[in-house]
Order: sequence, then structure tokens, then C-alpha cells
Amino acid sequence: MGNEIDIHAPGVEMRKSLCYFCHANCGVLAYVKDGEVIKIEGDPNYSNQGGLCCRGNSALLHLNHPARINHALKRVGKKGEGKWEKIPYDQAIAEVAERLNQIKEESGAEAVATAGGTTRTDDWARRRFMNQFGSPNGFHNALLCWIPTFMAETCVAGWSPFETDLGQAKVVMLWGMNPGASSLGAMRGYTDLQKNGMKIIVVDPRYSETASKADLWLPLRPGSDSALALAMLRTIIYEGLYDFAFVRDWCQDFEELREHVRDYTPEWAAPLTWLTPDQIRTAARMYAGNKPGCIQWGCTWDQLGTASTTTSLTLALMRAICGNLDVPGGDGMPGPALNFLTDEEMEANECLPEEQKAKQIGSDKFKLTSWPGYTLISDNARRTWGKTLPAEWFCEAHGPSVFKAIITGDPYQIRGLIVNATNPVNSYGDAKMTLEALKKVEFLVTVEYWMTPTALLSDYVFPAAGALERPTIVTHYGATDSFLGGKRAIQPLYDRHTDMTFWRKLGLACGQDPDMWPWETEEEAYYHILKPLGLAINCYNDFVDNYRMYYPPLHQNKYVANGGFWTPSGKVECNSSILRELGYAGMPTYMGCSENEIDDPEVAEKYPIVLTTGGGFMPYHHSEHFQMPSIRYLYPDPYYTLNPELAGKLGIAEGDWCWIETRRGRIKMRANVSPEIHPNVVYCPRGWWFPERDGSADLDNPFGCLESNTNVLTSVDDWDCDPMGGSWANRGLLCRVYKCTELDHEYKPSDAQWSIPGDSPEPGVTVMPSDQHLAREKVPFEVPEMEPAPEGYYRVWQNGQLYQAGTHFRLDESGWLVNPRTKGYHDAYTGWRYDPETELLVDDETGKCYDMAREEVVFVAGVRCYPGQAAPYEVPEQLTWNEEAGYAQLNDKPYVYDPASGWLLDPATGAYHEAYYGWLYDGATGQLVADDGTRYTMEYNPIEAEEAQAASATDEEEGA
Amino acid sequence: MTRYVMVVDQSRCIGCQSCTVACRTWNDLPLDIIYNPVVSEGTKGTFPDVYRTWTPTQCMHCANPECVPCCPTGASQQDDDGTVWVDYEKCMGCKVCVNACPYGMRDVSHMVPRFDQYVRKCTFCRSRRAQDPAAEPYCVATCHQRARIFGDIDDPESEVSKLINTNYTERIFTELGTDPQIYYIPEMGGGAR
Amino acid sequence: MKHHYWEAPIVIYLFLGGLGGGIFFLSALFDLIITPGAGPLFFAPVFFALAALALGCFFLVFELGQPPVFWRVFTTKTAIIKWGAVLLSVAMIFGFVWWASYLYVLGWEWTFGLAAALEGIRPIMLGIAGIAGFGIMVYTGVMLSTLKAHAFWATPALPVLFTVSALSTACAAIALSLGGAVDVNVIGAVVAELIHEIVHVVDIVLVVAEITVLLIMVLSFYGAGNVTAQAVAKRWVRGKTAPLFWGGMIFGGLVLPLLLYILAAGSAGSEILAPILVLCGGLLLRYLCVYSDERAPIPGEERFYERLPKKDAAFLTAWTKGKNLY
Repeated sequence: MGNEIDIHAPGVEMRKSLCYFCHANCGVLAYVKDGEVIKIEGDPNYSNQGGLCCRGNSALLHLNHPARINHALKRVGKKGEGKWEKIPYDQAIAEVAERLNQIKEESGAEAVATAGGTTRTDDWARRRFMNQFGSPNGFHNALLCWIPTFMAETCVAGWSPFETDLGQAKVVMLWGMNPGASSLGAMRGYTDLQKNGMKIIVVDPRYSETASKADLWLPLRPGSDSALALAMLRTIIYEGLYDFAFVRDWCQDFEELREHVRDYTPEWAAPLTWLTPDQIRTAARMYAGNKPGCIQWGCTWDQLGTASTTTSLTLALMRAICGNLDVPGGDGMPGPALNFLTDEEMEANECLPEEQKAKQIGSDKFKLTSWPGYTLISDNARRTWGKTLPAEWFCEAHGPSVFKAIITGDPYQIRGLIVNATNPVNSYGDAKMTLEALKKVEFLVTVEYWMTPTALLSDYVFPAAGALERPTIVTHYGATDSFLGGKRAIQPLYDRHTDMTFWRKLGLACGQDPDMWPWETEEEAYYHILKPLGLAINCYNDFVDNYRMYYPPLHQNKYVANGGFWTPSGKVECNSSILRELGYAGMPTYMGCSENEIDDPEVAEKYPIVLTTGGGFMPYHHSEHFQMPSIRYLYPDPYYTLNPELAGKLGIAEGDWCWIETRRGRIKMRANVSPEIHPNVVYCPRGWWFPERDGSADLDNPFGCLESNTNVLTSVDDWDCDPMGGSWANRGLLCRVYKCTELDHEYKPSDAQWSIPGDSPEPGVTVMPSDQHLAREKVPFEVPEMEPAPEGYYRVWQNGQLYQAGTHFRLDESGWLVNPRTKGYHDAYTGWRYDPETELLVDDETGKCYDMAREEVVFVAGVRCYPGQAAPYEVPEQLTWNEEAGYAQLNDKPYVYDPASGWLLDPATGAYHEAYYGWLYDGATGQLVADDGTRYTMEYNPIEAEEAQAASATDEEEGA
Repeated sequence: MTRYVMVVDQSRCIGCQSCTVACRTWNDLPLDIIYNPVVSEGTKGTFPDVYRTWTPTQCMHCANPECVPCCPTGASQQDDDGTVWVDYEKCMGCKVCVNACPYGMRDVSHMVPRFDQYVRKCTFCRSRRAQDPAAEPYCVATCHQRARIFGDIDDPESEVSKLINTNYTERIFTELGTDPQIYYIPEMGGGAR
Repeated sequence: MKHHYWEAPIVIYLFLGGLGGGIFFLSALFDLIITPGAGPLFFAPVFFALAALALGCFFLVFELGQPPVFWRVFTTKTAIIKWGAVLLSVAMIFGFVWWASYLYVLGWEWTFGLAAALEGIRPIMLGIAGIAGFGIMVYTGVMLSTLKAHAFWATPALPVLFTVSALSTACAAIALSLGGAVDVNVIGAVVAELIHEIVHVVDIVLVVAEITVLLIMVLSFYGAGNVTAQAVAKRWVRGKTAPLFWGGMIFGGLVLPLLLYILAAGSAGSEILAPILVLCGGLLLRYLCVYSDERAPIPGEERFYERLPKKDAAFLTAWTKGKNLY
């Protein structure tokens, strides 16, 4: 019996680990005996307070699952045939490296791309590899998850205000977010606070787990978020519900914004959102009227397709004008980690040449989240914070465009793809096209836990170490100033390796400089990251055992201390200058989601039902955990939700298998008939595939990865993507639904037919990617004429200030450089830091000090010396001034007189000696010791030897 | 005397099934054995005026259990602290207790070898509590929402006593005379309460 | 409804237990009170009773999760199942001794000594077996009716019904097997004829009684039972089970044999077909009742169990512990 295992038995060690199955990274206590984890439980002393969800509780099952990949696999049969040879890990690394180098030589480094899924720690290691390799084409599902929002919010206020300070908030708006099924720890917080009076507004087309507990639920038409957000913003402005003082003092171009949103009335939004004007006004009043309040970021914002960034920009402005930025109870802006190393500092971005950056796929179209936008935002962050956000996540190739490039060779051929921690068929849009790309790519390498459809099609599969086998850190994509950590419970089993080890080994095998990969383990790398904190730790595990988490002192209202927001203008920019510089509108202008009945009536005629996809649901996470029998047992089949009214109309009964079809394809799911959703909307959960099947048996649909996969329905055509951030369309699509019949029940090869663009009725490529237009035209922008900057400097057009190239320090009117991080001054010629305490210049690299004439200043035992000068301070009469050395001394004793304390210092030992006889001060007893060993009190009274001994004996006892 | 009971706060439960899975993994149960299903009738009402509640269930550890006196072998028994449990060393798998339970909270697994099937049920994590007297049943410890609260109802200072004394609570099928000891604080509708 | 906890073996056991118990009871009644000295005539019926009980016990043990430790059933004092087990054992042991004492009718010489030795205790043996048999008949119904979780079982009508049915099936079995394996003329054809007559009449009465009790029970649940019992009754009266109930149970198992008993008395239809139909009816009754184990669901419980995977879902067996795929 499993429950007879005693975690309190002798020989069982408890290790503080972190869960690794979603980003909440709850605390896990792992009980280890003889190198084996025998039990896990939630850590009651961590933020999850002992709580673990279905996934976290299954960690042991995950660790020992019979279907885990445990060895490096080399394909020996045809692609997808499922015939593998188990080879040593390092051999596989060497073979892959050789092939990658060959591709690089023949087609350039950019022909190698890498795909990731959602955030796992150590993504900096992937970027570190890619930067040194020379390819800009790394990507994740970043564009569906936070990154475009982060960038839009950063354009408005200088950093994303994502750290909600709920403890003091009076209202929280959960918009397109269902923590009740995704992040349970957060849900507990909301529930507790709600019981204490906080209001919860939930914006969700479905009566979700969270909506069922809400104070106000806005069941909007899926995808109409931008209309609702604009109407709420308009209501807040025109009803005067915003924070007048804040807007007056800290917002730029507010009047322009007021004019801009004039027509977005609730009455205008009502038919778009299927809400009443009253509902919209009530929500606006509830949010703005309960100050301080929070708007929690929700994934939906980044999955609306065309309307994504419009929505997040609107919401960013809404919380700003309500004065909820960076205030107690509002949306906190952490900024980059100023006290320890940021992920960006681990990425070695300086290794990637500018000409390679320019080749990043999709960066010509979706500029906000690729090198063009990142450069503007990142340089601005360096100027304002002194550090910046990581390039990984925030500056990536456009994933779907890379897959299209594999198929079409447009803009150039991608030949190699390394897939790490994702199964793109299920997690990226237009699954059929993605599957085709995975089949077509010349060289495919996968790092995985499981034999996914992607792994099945690979040339090499590497086994990944997962939960409990690796230390885990939480730094929110490297975009925050706090740090949480957990240890590994055991070393990786079998031949599994962690992701960082994979990238490091691959880097070294590709010929990268070993000095660039100094850390053999995550623990070493994390210690390197944490060292600047100056904590009393000798290794990373010390940190976990003794600290576990680091939070900087809570610093709200930082913009006041900083003298402004971290935007180019120093204000909240209601008309974002960075967006305008990138060729986008600086203020949000309404745009419908990718498919809707108003803009596309002819589509709606054939596909009259609104489809929403992409919502998270317990117990799965994205496309994970379908192998875990104890979880799958509770949720064996995919269920989509439809209203009983619609079900009646379509003749569908609870549990029926049905087809759900958009212009791009169809999938089948079982009906969950429930009034939790509008009668004209259906909701499909994401991720489904069937790992229990034989993948090689049907390569049109390996492991059933297309059959019930909502991404068959989603669109990645350029005109359906967000024109700024590149998010593709998951929500608010148009579909039709019909019951599976006896004749039309099986998934057929024709259902797997792919096309580019996805909505083309013709199979294959009909419009090349570079010929696809965007949803919005670019807005031309020219940087205003400015006085040219002197050499080594550049001028920022928004504020006209000069900044030093490289350091991004501002050149002050006084001629000094100002370090934005410390607000300290630096010498403009040498870069040396001015230390106001000593009034000296300090070269932090060498530790040497200089005076204002930039002459080196000598210190002996920490005492400043004035060689060749007369004593600049009063020298006690018993001492003599040593002009050559520049300090006062007692006779010929080698001690230096410290004018600040009046004591002599021994440069050899650092010990203090009194200044009359040079006797040593014994800090342990508080006595003075003469050269001959005689002891004296501080009053120069001799102490008898016995007394001294007795005293020291007592001390020892006390000490013991 | 110590009398263990559980309070289930339905206004906090969001139906995540974490306790269900946690119980299965902690107790290493066969797949078809579920000690504590979180059940729901689904969403009720007409869109958009709808509501939904979840009912986390498990053995009710009745004060007057149906399943104990019917056992012919004495395997099904009750501790002085109210814990109803089955001694696997005594059970012969006749399933009379399974049929006796009005809550359907006992069963034998059909996924273990035939002729090795004994009756399994929730024991309030009896062995876990024996190893560490301060420990709560694992479903309680693992509940993010703290919808399950465990404790001694005979101790007036315990959280369960206070909750039962200050809230309207319901129990399931009291009409059968089983005196079940899982107390439900029902969901009274959305919003701050 | 999760699934049926008790299935076919228990159906057979309850039927055979009632049948065997009934035969013992009736045999004792005839041999000791009504027609003393008819013992040998009951040699065959008691053999069938013993076989029925033994087979019933086999199914009972087979249905256990852990058959090798079936003896644990005797380890408590009070449980009703334990009393069932004791009654079964008593009936079988004492019945067997009684039956063994008549083995001489088969003409096996080695049994003559046995018969002589046991002759004196025959009445006690059969008496005890008969009383135990009566206990078994009642017990089969009482056991189900004490399980109040199942509304359809938890009625006093059920033990009555089961007892009547057990007696009725016993009559049928006696009618079929009376005097088997012995030369009836030697012992007394008149007595045999008398017993046949009595059994014939008694079974008519019992079948009528069974129809009455069954209809009262089902129809009262149908009309006024609690929600769960009513649902079961509805299923019987006009739902999925209705053909089996009306066509199989009421008509085939009760009305038809009754008609045959009355209208075709003396014919093969009455003497062979009708008892067989009664036996089938008895088995069907146990089947219908055991599979009516509906329990009042906790709200939402059914929805939960409906969504669990079917037993043959591929993922349940796709991965085996300890077997490394990759």
C-alpha cells in the first residue's frame, strides 16, 4: 500500500523543490530516500500554502512514467516510422552539432531555428546558444502569452504593471483569465480577499470557474474585447471617473486620447460585445470607482488575433488614467532585477551581429515583439532603469512565419529546427500547416519528455529532465526584480539532461567558446545570478535552504522617487512615441477580431457560430499530461461546450461526438451541453492529442494530433494576426457545428489537407507569405529634425537629451553622465563613478580611485594616503607624518593612522592598534595587548595574568 | 474525546479536482478507485442568469455508519475518533459494506488481479495521521482553495467547530439516520459574502 | 450510478439459496409432519437442494474479492451475512447427513452400514436442516432489505417476496424430482401421489401470493415510493425492464405456470413445464431485484461517473509500469 510509506522514517530527507508543470511553480516538498523520491507534498511554507493541483500532485507519476523518453534517440527508419536507435547523449550531441554547423556553413546560421512552448526556466540558455551560433530565429508561444501585452504596456508606462498588489486592492478585474482552472494559488488569494470585501469583475464569454465566484460577470462576445475595453475607457474618461491629479501630473497627450475615444460609447460597443450599455457602464464604474484596483493580465488579450494589442493598449491606458500604476493596491511595476543578474545579462546578446538581427523572420511585419521594437524598448529601458528586459520571449521570430518559411522558402529556407519543450502541432496556430512544416523541415531535433507527434517526426530526440530532477527558479520570464527558487530532489534519471545542459553541450560541440559556458550545472549558473545580492550563501542550494526567495524591499510609487515614468518622455504616454516610431498608431483604434459577423458577413453566413478556443482547463496544461492515467481518467475525452438552446437547434445531445468546422478545417469533440455560454457561442478546450495511440500508424494525423486539436481551427494568416505584436487568432472565430454521423465519424486524410493561407479553399500554397498583407496599414512616421549628437553620444527625439552610446547614461547639463540605475554621476571621459562620500572617482572595474584631476588615489588599509603632500589633517603629536607614503605613523611601526577613527591600522592584518603605544586591540575581550603580551584595560590599567586567564576562561565557557 | 469531522466550504470550491487526484497519488490507488470525487450538476439556469456549485464528496465517516455492522468479518470498523476504515488483513471482499453505504464511497477495484480485491475507502488519511499526528488528510493539505477543513468537532476551539457553529451547514442524506460527519457550507450565490 | 457492485453470481446464489432452503423446509415438513415416512421420496429433492446450496455457495465465494479467505465470514457475531453463512452451513451439513443415510436406496452395499448407523438421528437431522432452510429463504430477502442505501431493496415486502418465491420454486423442484432415483412403487405410490397433489395446490397458492406481493411491492413503489425506488419501479413497469418484468416474470414465470397448473392439471404441461417455468421465474426475480440496486445519487454524482472512461479505453492499458518504451 502506497499510503504506508512513512515520510518521517529515518533516512528520509526532505528537499525543498518547486513544481514544474506550469508557471505558478508551487512549492513542493520532496521526500527522498536512497536517491529515490518516495513522496511529494505541497510546501505549506510557500506561497501555495501546501496546495498542489492535479498536475503537481502527479509529479511522481511523471517522473517514473513508462512512456518517458529516457535515452537519446536517433532515427533509423523513415521519418515518422518510429524506429529508433538508443545512443549515448554526448554522441547524439556531437552528431547534431556537426549537422548544424554544416547547415550554417552552407546556408547561414539563420537557417537554423528553434521553437519553444510556454515559459520554463533557463530560456536564457537557449538564447545564449542561438546568439553565439548566430541565428535570430528562436521563438516560443510568446505572442499568445503576455509578450505583446508586456510590450504595449511598456510603451505606455515604461514597464509592464503586472505585479498586482491585491492585498490592498478594492477591486480586481480578471479579464480573459480563469485562475480557477489555471493558477489555483492565485484563485485562493482572490477568494480570500473577496471574502474581505474586494470586488471581482470577470470578463469571460463563459461562466467559468472564476466567473461563478465573481461580483460582476461580463459575458461578452468572444473576441470583442477591444470594443469593450474602449467603451469602458471612454466611460471612465467622459464620466470623469479617472484620477485627475495623476493625469495632470504624470500623463502626456491625455487630451488627444480624450478626443480619440469620443465615439467609443457603450451604445457603440453594445452590438459588438453583445452586452448592454448598462453592463459596460457598471463595469467601468465598478473598476474606476473602487480605487485602488488591479487589472490582472489575461491570456485572452494576446490571443485575439488582429485586435490583440489594441485591447492591451486600451487596458494599459485605463489603469494608468485611473491612477492605479505602481501604487499600493494597484498594478505594481517591478522593473528589471537591479540587485541580481537579469536573464538578459545571461543571454550574451552582444554576440549576435546586427546583420543577423535584421534577418529575424517576421521582424519586418510584427515589429513590436521582434528586434525593431525590442531595440527601441530595450534601449529606453537601459536609459531609464539601467537594465533591460530579456531578448528571449520579448524579441523573437514570428513562429508561424518560420513554419511557413520551412514550407515555402519565403523569405529564405529554414533547414534545421530544434524543438525544445513544445509540441508545435498542438500549441501553434494552424496545426495542419505546422504539421506539414515539421514533416518537411530537413533536420528536426526535439528535446522532450514524451514521444509527441513532433518527436515522432524528428531525426534526433533528446530526453529532458523534468520536475524533481532539476532546480527551478521563478523570475517571471526574467522580467521582474524578485527571485524564487527550489532545489532538485534528485539528479536526472537515466540519460535525461536538463535544458541548460543540452544547450551548453550543444554549444560546446558546435565549437562555442568554453569560457562562454562556465557553468556546468544550473546550480552554478543560478549562484552566479544571485551573487550580486551579497547574501550569506556559498552555493545556490544554500539560498534555497536559507532564503528560498528574494524580494526587494517593497517599493511602490517608484515613479515619484524616480522623478518620472520609465518612458522616453518620462510620462505615461497616452499616445505612445515608441509605437509611433515603429509605424503604428500611438493610441488604440478599434479593430474587430480576426473573424466576426460584422466585418465578414459572407463568412458568417456559412459559419454562423462564434468559436472561442485557447482557454486553459483543469487538469491539463496546454498539450501536456494526456499520458497521465490518474488525470486522464477524470477527463478522458475532449468536451466542447454549447448552450442547450443551440444544442436543441442542432439536434445535439450531451456526450454526442460533433464536428466543429471553420474555414481552415474541422475537429471533433464531445458535446457538453450547458447554459454557461451564449446560445451562439461554442467553447473548445485546447491541446488535445491521444498519446495512447500508435503514432506511426497514421502519419496524416499522428497520435490523433489533428483530430480534436483546436489549432486546426485557428488562423495564422498574416491578415488575421495582430499587426503590431503578431499574435494569431484563437478567440472569436466563426465556425459551424454538426453532429458526427455514422458515415462521417472517422477522421479522414482529406481532413488533414493543409494550405497557405489557411483559409484558402485550395490545398497547398496559394499566397506566398511575403505577399500576405497585414490587418492594418503602417502609419508613416519620421523622427523630428534634431541637433546632431556629438561622437559617442546619441540624442533621444522624445526628450532631446543626449545619451552616451553603449552605457546609455544621460549626459547631464553639468557635463556629467548620470547612471539611471543608481542616479549617481559618472565622469563623461572615463566613465568613472563619482562617490559623493569620499568625493572621489571610482573605477568599478579595477576598484581604483581617482581624484577630480583623474590622478590615482592610494589607499593603505582603507585609509586614504597623500604621498608627497603635507598632512591634510591634524596629526596627533606622538605620530610622525611619512611624506613619502602619505600617512601618519607611530615611530617606525608599520601601522597607518586613520584620521577618521583615531586608531592605527595594520595593513597586513587589518587589526586596530591604539595610537599611543601601538598596542593591539583585542576585540574578543575588549582589552589592549602590548607587544610583550601584557594586557591592559582600555584605560591603560594593566590586568593580572590570572585575571586575564580567568576572564578568557569564563568567556570560553560562555562561548560554549 | 476526539471526534474528527470535515467541513467543506462550497463557496470556496471551484471544482479543480486537485483533491481527487491528490488522494489517488498519495494513496497510490488503482485508477478506478476514487475516494473523493468532486461532483457537480453542471451549470444551471438560463444564460446569462446561471449558477454553479461543486460538491466535494468522500466517505462521510458517519457517527452511525451503515457499513460497519453489516461487515461479516469485522474488517470494516470505526475508531474512537470516528474514522471509519477497512482492515485489509480482515476483508474478504464480499462487498456488503459497499452496498450498504448510501453515499457510494466504497468499492473494490476491478483493475487489480482477480481474487486480490478488497474494499477500499477514504480513511481520513489514517496512516498519514498516525505517522504525524499534526498532519491533515492529504486532500485537505493539498486544497489550494482551502475548501476542505479538517479537525476535531469536540474541541470548541478548533476551526471546524467554529465554522460549524457560525455557519449554516448541511449534511447529505441525514434522513437515513447515518449521522454523516462531513458538514457542507453551501454556496449562496456569487459575490462578496 | 457508478456500476453494479453485485452481479450475476449473487443473482444465482440468492436463487439457489432460496431454492435449496425451500426444499429442505418442505422436505422436513412432509417427512416429519404431513406424511411421515416419505423420507426416501425426498432423496432426490434433497440431493438437488444440497447441490443448489453447494453451487450457490460456490458462486457466493466466487463473487468475493478474495475467495481463499472466505472463512473470515465466520469471524464476527452479529452481521447478517454471517448468519446467512451459518444457516447455509448448518443446512448443508445436517441435510447431507440425512441424505447420506438414504444412500442405500441407490443399492450401494457399502452405504447400508451408514444408513443403519444414522437411522436414529434422521428426524433431528432433517428437522435442523429444515429450520435452517427456512432461515435461508427468509435470509436471502432480509439481507437485501437491510441495505437501506438501496430504496428498492429496503422494504419488508422483499423478504416476503423472496420467501414466497423460494417456497414456490421449492415446490416446483419437488414436483419435478419427487421420488427420483427410488422405486416409488416400493415405498408408496399413494404417498407420492398425495405429496404431488399437496405440492400442486400449494404452488398454486404460492404463485398467486407471489403475483400479489410482487405487484403490491412494485406498484406501490411506482405510485408512492421515494424518488429512487420510484425510478426503479418505473423502469420495471414501463421502462427498459418492462418486457422482462411483464413478459418474463409476471407472464412467463407466474401467470403461465398458474394457468397450466389449473387448466392443464395432470398433463405434462402442468407437471413438467409449469414447474420449470416457476424455477425460471424465480431466477428472473432475483436477477431483476439484484440489478435494481439504484442508490439515491448525491447531486451531480451521476454526471461525474458518466464522464469517466469506458473500461476498454485505450489509455488505461497503453502504458505498463516498469516497462520502458524509449
